[in-house]
Amino acid sequence: MIGWLTFVAVGLLLSLAGALWRVWRGPAQADRMMAAQLVGTGGVGVVMVLAALGDWAALDVALVLALLAAFAAVAFVKANSADGAGDPEERAPDTALLQPRAGREGDTDRGGDEGRSGAGGAAP
Amino acid sequence: MLLDVILCGMILAVALAAVSGLGVFRAVVFFVVHGVLVSMAWLRLDAVDVALAEAAIGAGLTGVLLLSAVARLERLAGGGAWRQRVNVLPAGLAAAGVTGALMWAFLGLPQPAGLGAEVAAALPRAGVENPVTAVLLNFRGWDTLLESVVLLAALVGVWALTADDDWGARAGVAQHAAPGGVLEGFGRVLPPLGLMVGVYLVWAGAAGPGGAFQGGTVLAAVALLLAMAGLAPAPRVGAPALRLALVAGPAVFLGVGVAGLAWGGFLRLPPDIAKPLILTIEAALTLSIAVTLALLVLGRPEPGDGA
Repeated sequence: MIGWLTFVAVGLLLSLAGALWRVWRGPAQADRMMAAQLVGTGGVGVVMVLAALGDWAALDVALVLALLAAFAAVAFVKANSADGAGDPEERAPDTALLQPRAGREGDTDRGGDEGRSGAGGAAP
Repeated sequence: MLLDVILCGMILAVALAAVSGLGVFRAVVFFVVHGVLVSMAWLRLDAVDVALAEAAIGAGLTGVLLLSAVARLERLAGGGAWRQRVNVLPAGLAAAGVTGALMWAFLGLPQPAGLGAEVAAALPRAGVENPVTAVLLNFRGWDTLLESVVLLAALVGVWALTADDDWGARAGVAQHAAPGGVLEGFGRVLPPLGLMVGVYLVWAGAAGPGGAFQGGTVLAAVALLLAMAGLAPAPRVGAPALRLALVAGPAVFLGVGVAGLAWGGFLRLPPDIAKPLILTIEAALTLSIAVTLALLVLGRPEPGDGA
């Protein structure tokens, strides 16, 4: 049983590695954020298997992760509203968020950051 | 074993990706992911209390804080003027030097015998069954008391940045959301569950993993969500009730500590009533930690400028 659970945990971890690739690759900010959410969800799964492998008290960790992993997504949508304190639903959908920004953030060594010009910075 | 090797490899890869300097947003997302993975690592080390704290702080609150900070930087500088070319070589060398010095100091330490046996022997007098809570609130109450004061000092530091005209206003930027929207709906669904989990973690901390810090962090997240969904306005920084909530934890802790003088020493808890005393301290600490953390993430009062 232990061997089987370990096998499942390893499989779940490796699936998280797939999500990591998406965080790295992007290309849009939303892609990275959704991949991070996937790591949160998968993390709940891994923690539950780890709880079965070791200490059942670890289930509380899964509970906290399930509850709080979504908070980063809330901060992300708020950051993409017009004034940074609102809600993207207060205005027309912003399709620029879903577009990859070619040349803004690739594998180049820019030492800077991807911009969000035209998406978050512009007032409606 | 294979599991641990893969987990360590992923943690190292994610940490490297976070500091590799390919965009602040990407680094922040990797940092959030790092919190989830490190929390699993603590579980593998049988440190469930630490895993809980890491899951709540690393994967929860700091993600919110850093993402808001990135968005704000871009907004303030019109999207890019704040970017500076940092010379990575000296920074990298300095970081490597500090890491090397820490490793050298760590490896030079004598093999620690561990205090587990002594804690286990003293546990019947502690009033709680969870050895971590016993150490934090009974055997080594000093550290916890000072840590709670440090949190308060951090908030005073943030508030010290307030512009004179804004003092007394509501904490943070005025938050709003589309009525009936997804964000507002989320803000209505999650808080009742979060409230239950937060209180449960504090209560469970007496017998198993959990405690004031973990529970307080979950409660802080709940309060933040209410504020971010525009459902409850942030409190005014001058409100007496708020000030009371902020100092309640350290004040109750200090009060119990001083009362302990009558029993034999500062912060000594009589074994007979240790459990009710610890629960009282934890309840007050939870309130203060939750309020302080939420206000730290909300930031200084900035009414109406939206920038």
